Parts: sequence; structure tokens; C-alpha cells
Amino acid sequence: MIGLFWENFRISLGSIFANKTRSILTALGIVIGVLSVTLMGTLISGLDKTFEKSMAGFRSDVLLLSRMEWFSGDTDWWEMRNRPRMKEDYGQKLLARSQFVEAVAPVSERGGSIIRDDRRIDSRFFGTTTSYLATNSSTEIEQGRFFTDGENRSGARVLVIGGDVADALFPNEDPLDKYVKIGNYKFRVIGILKKMGKFMGMFSMDNQATMPMGTYKRLYARRGWMTLRVKVNTTDVETAKGDVRGIIRNIRRLKPTEKDNFGINQSSTLEAQYKAIKLAIGGTGIFITALSLIVGGIGIMNIMFVSVKERTREIGVRKALGATKNMILGQFLMEAIMICLIAGLFGMGIAYGLSIIINNFFPSSMPMGLAVGAIILSVIIGVISGLVPSYRAARLDPIDALRYE
Amino acid sequence: MPDLISLDKIKRHYDVGGEIVRALDGVDLTIKQNEYISIMGPSGSGKSTLMNMIGCLDSPSEGIYEFEGELVHEMDDNQLASIRNRKIGFVFQTFNLLPKATALRNVEVPLIYANMSRRDRIQKAEKALIAVGLKERMHHKPNELSGGQRQRVAIARALVNDPSIILADEPTGNLDSKSGVEIMKILDTLHDSGNTIILVTHEEYIANHADRSIHLFDGKIKEDRKTNKVKSVDQ
Repeated sequence: MIGLFWENFRISLGSIFANKTRSILTALGIVIGVLSVTLMGTLISGLDKTFEKSMAGFRSDVLLLSRMEWFSGDTDWWEMRNRPRMKEDYGQKLLARSQFVEAVAPVSERGGSIIRDDRRIDSRFFGTTTSYLATNSSTEIEQGRFFTDGENRSGARVLVIGGDVADALFPNEDPLDKYVKIGNYKFRVIGILKKMGKFMGMFSMDNQATMPMGTYKRLYARRGWMTLRVKVNTTDVETAKGDVRGIIRNIRRLKPTEKDNFGINQSSTLEAQYKAIKLAIGGTGIFITALSLIVGGIGIMNIMFVSVKERTREIGVRKALGATKNMILGQFLMEAIMICLIAGLFGMGIAYGLSIIINNFFPSSMPMGLAVGAIILSVIIGVISGLVPSYRAARLDPIDALRYE
Repeated sequence: MPDLISLDKIKRHYDVGGEIVRALDGVDLTIKQNEYISIMGPSGSGKSTLMNMIGCLDSPSEGIYEFEGELVHEMDDNQLASIRNRKIGFVFQTFNLLPKATALRNVEVPLIYANMSRRDRIQKAEKALIAVGLKERMHHKPNELSGGQRQRVAIARALVNDPSIILADEPTGNLDSKSGVEIMKILDTLHDSGNTIILVTHEEYIANHADRSIHLFDGKIKEDRKTNKVKSVDQ
């Protein structure tokens, strides 16, 4: 049977190359289909990658206490609006009362421009304490230093800037100990953070600047929005979360019947939300692109019907010479599969090239599993779309086929 | 000599738009090994149907068909395909070669379906082409060959699998007379070397190459006689 397999392989290639224009046009549908499915997968993988990268800042052992839950479900927004604010001294209380809390850093933030002479960058800057580094292990100082407790207490106008901010404001010089302006206030740059990459422009530390909480409060808001970053010392985050929740409820003197008037957020909530979004985008995207593959498959089926019709006499001759139904079926099935396989490889090749280009703008890579999957998929499409025409060919009556003009 | 083919009250009826057409209406026929038979008759007499029947392309509506002792009328499609492949060589009026394949590859086709290795295939196909005098043109495609040469490729293809019987359906019908004579000479030679040949023709002088001539009329055998045998002569 191996001999017959090779024979069918040769026949199918011969037939495909004998009708070049037709084969190319037919294959185009599959090329486009495989291309779009593969690219879609590549984009989703890129999304994953950047998400993971940026999630490095949101460690799973860090709880984020704030006035609202990130994903509040059906909690009334007005109820949340009127909740009391987070206070910085919760941090000390948590450290004192909970055996799970390792470090707490308050974080307040706002947007604004950072200006250096005639250069400016729109950025976000936030105030925090020296504990921040303990709650965010992915933040690394590339140059200089983080601010000190003394600077925090005294409200010193010092700034630790992200890598993008440094690049934008100090393209050709060392930013350390230089001065920048935020609004009317002058700050001295004391440190530069290592670049982390970004998640579609969101959550990037590279574009932010950090100042001492004392400074932030003095200059901007005593009672602003605040998030408490709570690092726990256990992998059993749920237990720690329960403990923290109890303590905050206690501080706020909530009765057992009252609902929480604060939110404890975690990267896993973000992750869960992200996964839901990814599923929606990915599912819809793959579905729509798969439709183009089905259209391509219909094209293949159509051309196979034509091919069978054209070669009716050949089928008759082959049957007279001893070909069985299955042999004829195999011959035409092989042809359909070969068109799809070649088209699939082409589509994947183009997708690979494009993914390299896309990678320049949006970090992504074409996953190998998907590549192999795309090829298998095109073979399956070949089988499905070739089956009916091939079966029709196999079923032809040899006498009628031989007489066919 | 044992019977190669035995047809017993073979009937073949077609239902054409509610009307029964009796293409074969009770044919009894025995063919022995190394016979040289011609089948004649006006169009619509059932020649082609009988030919298809003997060639295992068609199954009888009624009757018993034995081929070398095997009951053909009880076989399924795959068994029929196998019989066609191993036991029968077809030569068609319109040659029916695969247009995109060389002469050699055309002759190889039955051997492919017999699942023979590529080496043996090429060897046998070359031998068959040499036997019909096409040694120099093995690698030409049909459109590079003359009509007579094409028919010789078809004959090579018919005999490459050493069949028990060669069925030639108007083998000279599409050829000029000179090529026709050549083809008949080859068939005569094949018969002389022990092959069984059945010719369908409506030309008396072609039919006379055979030893025995069968005349069909309205799906029945009207006449079954010895011919005034002519031998092809070199011109």
C-alpha cells in the first residue's frame, strides 16, 4: 500500500501543478484562513506574554487594600463612593496584629506632566513609603537609590523615575541629581527604575515616577485615594486575606451584619478577569477566522468536484485497469489534502514572517503548538472538503465513466 | 483444454425511464484458453454490454458467469476490480491513455494497482513496451505519439500484468488503415504466443483475423462460426 500512497502523492502533485492558476486560487482561501487563525493565536499569545510580564509587579502574595473592589460585581457604586478612605496607619495596625503581614506600603497616585527644560512627558506619579520595595520585588533600582525614611518624614522633594521617563527627559545625559518639575514643584532625581515592559500601555512602572509619601501628602492631598500594598509571608494567601479582612473590619468597627466597606484585591482577581476577557476576544477571534477557513474548505470542495468531473474518463480507465473504490477515493482525497497542506504551510510561513514584524510593536511569538495545529487543521479541512467529491469519484460506474465525453 | 470463460443464460436488463431494455437476453458462451474470437453485430445488438460483462465491468442481471472457475456474478466491487487487474487486459477504441503520463507510466498503472514494487513495475512495463515495438518512445507522452503508437502503448498496458484474456473494443476504429494493420499484426502475434483475445468490431476483414466469430442480434447470439482465417502479411 506504500507504493500506492506514493503513487497517489505523485498523481496529486502532478494534477496540482498541471492546473497552476486554479490551484493557486483555490489554495488562496486556505492560505488566508490559516494565516488569520495563526496570527490570531500569535496575538493572543503576545497578550498572554505581556500580561504575565506586567503581572510580575502584581505578585500573588501581595494584597491590595483599597476603598473599592476592582471587580465589584453588583455592589452599588454609590455605596462604594461613600465608603471611608484607607488610612496610612492601618499599615502599622496590620503589622502589629497580623502574624501573616510582612510589609505594608501605602500608595497614592495621580497623573501629571514631568518637565525638564523644554522636554515633557505625561506620566503618573505616586507617593509611597520605603516599604514599597519590600512589597514589590519586581521593582529594581537601575541607577541611584530609593528615598529614605528621613526623606519621607521631612517631605523631601526627591523623585525615583521610571526608565521611559528617564529616556524621554534625559536622552543624552545622566539624570541623577538633575532637577525636574511637576507642576510648580522642583524635584531632584535620585534614582532610576529598571524597565519592566508594559501591558498594552497599562500598569507600566516605566512611565511613572515615585516620591515619598510625606512629600506627596504635603504637596497634593492629605486625604486622597490610597491603596495599601500588603505583602503576606505565606503561600496560603486566602487565610492571610481572611486575617487582614478581620483586622480591617475590627479597625472600622463593623458589625457582623454589615458588609465590608473596603476591597481586598489580588492579582488573581485581575488574572481571572483577564482570562475571561482573553477567552471572549480569543474565542470570538478564532471563531471568525475559522469561518474563513471553512470558506476556504468550500473552495477546495468546489474545485475537487470540478476535478472529478473533468477526469471522469480517467477514473473509468483506472477502474478498468483494476483500481478499487478505495484506491480512487485515496487518489482524490490525497489531492484535496495536498492542496490544503501546501496552502497551510504557505499561510503559516507568511504568518511567521508577519509575527516577526508584529513583534517589533507588540511583543509576541508564534507558538510552535499552534503552528503544528494549523497544519493539522489544514489537513483535516482537506479531508473534510475532499471527502464528498472523492466519494463521488470512487462510486462512479466504470462503464458510464468510460463513456463520459 | 479447460473453459476459461463460461456464460450461462446471461441476461442484462436496463431500466431506461421505466422501459426495460434487454441489452443481453440469454447469452450462452464458452471460451477456451488461447481462443481468438471476434464479436460482431449492428449497434444496439449488445456487443458492448457483452464485452463489459466479460471484462467484469458489469454484472449480469441473471445468469451464471464463471471466469477460470470463479463465480463472477457473485463478486463484490473489490473482487471485480481485482479480477480486472490480474486477469483482463483492455484495449479501447479511443486508447484511453492518461494524457499527462509518459508511455512507461501509462503501462505501469495496472501494476501499481497490483501493488508491485517500483523496480519490478518499471522492468515489466519496459518489457511490455519493447514487445509492442516502442522501445525508443517509452518516455514520450501520448500527445507526442501517433495514433498507432498510442494504441500500441494501450496494448502494452493490457498485457503488462500477464492477463488471461485481452479484450479489444474496436482497436482499429480510430486508426488509419496502415496503423490498423500494424495493430492487428501485434494482436495476431500475441495470440500466437498463447494469449486469449476477444475482438469487438464491425469490420468483416478485422473479424477475420480471429478463428471464431460471434454475431449478436437483439441481445442474443445469432451465429457462432469458424472464420476464414486470414493471417496478417508484411506489406
